[in-house]
Amino acid sequence: MSFDPWIWIGALLTLAIFSFLYRENPFYRFAEHLFVGVANGYAITVMWHLVLTTRVITPLRGGNFIVIIPTLIGMLYFCRFMPRFAWLVRFPIAIALGFSAGVSIPAVLQASFIKQIQGTIVYPHTLVNWQQGLWAVIILIGVISTIFYFYFSREHTGILKPVSYIGIIFIMIGFGASFGYTVMARLSLLIGRFYFLFKDWLGIIK
Amino acid sequence: MKIWSSLLKIDRRIIYLAVAISVLVPLIFPFSIPTNVMPPTQVLFNAVDNIDPDNQAMLISVDYDPQTMPELQPMLKALLRHAFARRLPVLVMSWPVQGLGLGKKGLDEVTAEFNRLAQTAEDSIIYGRDYVFLGWPPYWLAAVLRMGSDIGQAFPADYYKNRTSALELMKRIKNYNDIGLIISIAGSAAPQSWITYVNTRFGVRVGAGSTAVSAPDFYPFLNTGQMTGMMAGLKGASEYEHLVHTRYKTTGEMAAIRGMSSQSIAHLAILVLVVIGNIGYFVTRRKQ
Repeated sequence: MSFDPWIWIGALLTLAIFSFLYRENPFYRFAEHLFVGVANGYAITVMWHLVLTTRVITPLRGGNFIVIIPTLIGMLYFCRFMPRFAWLVRFPIAIALGFSAGVSIPAVLQASFIKQIQGTIVYPHTLVNWQQGLWAVIILIGVISTIFYFYFSREHTGILKPVSYIGIIFIMIGFGASFGYTVMARLSLLIGRFYFLFKDWLGIIK
Repeated sequence: MKIWSSLLKIDRRIIYLAVAISVLVPLIFPFSIPTNVMPPTQVLFNAVDNIDPDNQAMLISVDYDPQTMPELQPMLKALLRHAFARRLPVLVMSWPVQGLGLGKKGLDEVTAEFNRLAQTAEDSIIYGRDYVFLGWPPYWLAAVLRMGSDIGQAFPADYYKNRTSALELMKRIKNYNDIGLIISIAGSAAPQSWITYVNTRFGVRVGAGSTAVSAPDFYPFLNTGQMTGMMAGLKGASEYEHLVHTRYKTTGEMAAIRGMSSQSIAHLAILVLVVIGNIGYFVTRRKQ
């Protein structure tokens, strides 16, 4: 068994969180609140050391006064707490929004829309071997039928009915794959915690 | 009929206990299961293996926090072992603040593994020469775009507050032209953001280490070639550990491979529970 107090703290907090599986209790709530508090405290400390110190204070000491401009714009966020000057908060928000939208719109269109459509198209070179060609055709059928399933401007009758039915089969296979992966993910987290409890804390696992 | 209806009313705490036992017993009494490497993991391994260590570096972004650590930390360590075994320079950064501690932990543990066996300074893994921990950028999007022209400007100081431009490695790794592969290890959609803003704009190859929950979201990007390989969940991590250990005979604990025996038994237990639940449901419904 470990004699490291940090291991003990980690183990007891893990058990406190696990206690929720039985029922809601004060130990669980304590661990939950502690986590939120510690995570926020850690983030504030990092902001101080890696942002304010290295990107504002150090450059100012070195005579780089240009950093005053972005610092002042950023500080306008605090105007939100002063009703008389609250409107000034719009400046940093507008800059951040304008920058993000300007960068994101063309990039997202290119990466998630145009490239994905290209990936769905079956070219002659995708049919060079039967395996690659088969998967390309399956993906094409899956994409078209799934889109048709979500096409609500016309009633799903006639040719739309079997196509949308194929679409729902693809959607269900997708849900099944996601569920399988989710089970794997959750078990991995449990394995990690048990490994910590039974190896690092209790020393049962060698 | 009575058996099936009572099976449908099992207390959820009994199911928790059954899953806990199926996870714990193989952890205490592990058994080996063959590791079949899936194509996305093999592609990622080959991509890392083909980076020219004399001219380029690998950038690992620790885009996860402690809640997904059991799945993703083995990936970070396996990647670092792979890179250090090849003497491939590594830059590490973090997107969420909480990833900083995990990145440092992984780096400290893997460098210690290598330095324990080192005879000379040449054999050792040395900070600033073989790897740099860049730390955390305050506004991720601005930082990753800035890295396209100058990494030193995006990170004026590293995690340890050293001036980045003064580090030996950073004198030859200036921007994305000097990065052979970016690997985002994430429990979120972070790899997709790397593809959107860095792969699309700068053409740098992006690979991923993903939690199993997020893995299905990335297959479309593998299909289009926008993503260069992926480790999916603990299984992906175990495959990468296996590949690195087989090729380079690295030392160090292989947590993902060890966890796979528990994973397999627990999956069997859940399969049995799902089958029993479904049979019970259909039998009782027919009787009604």
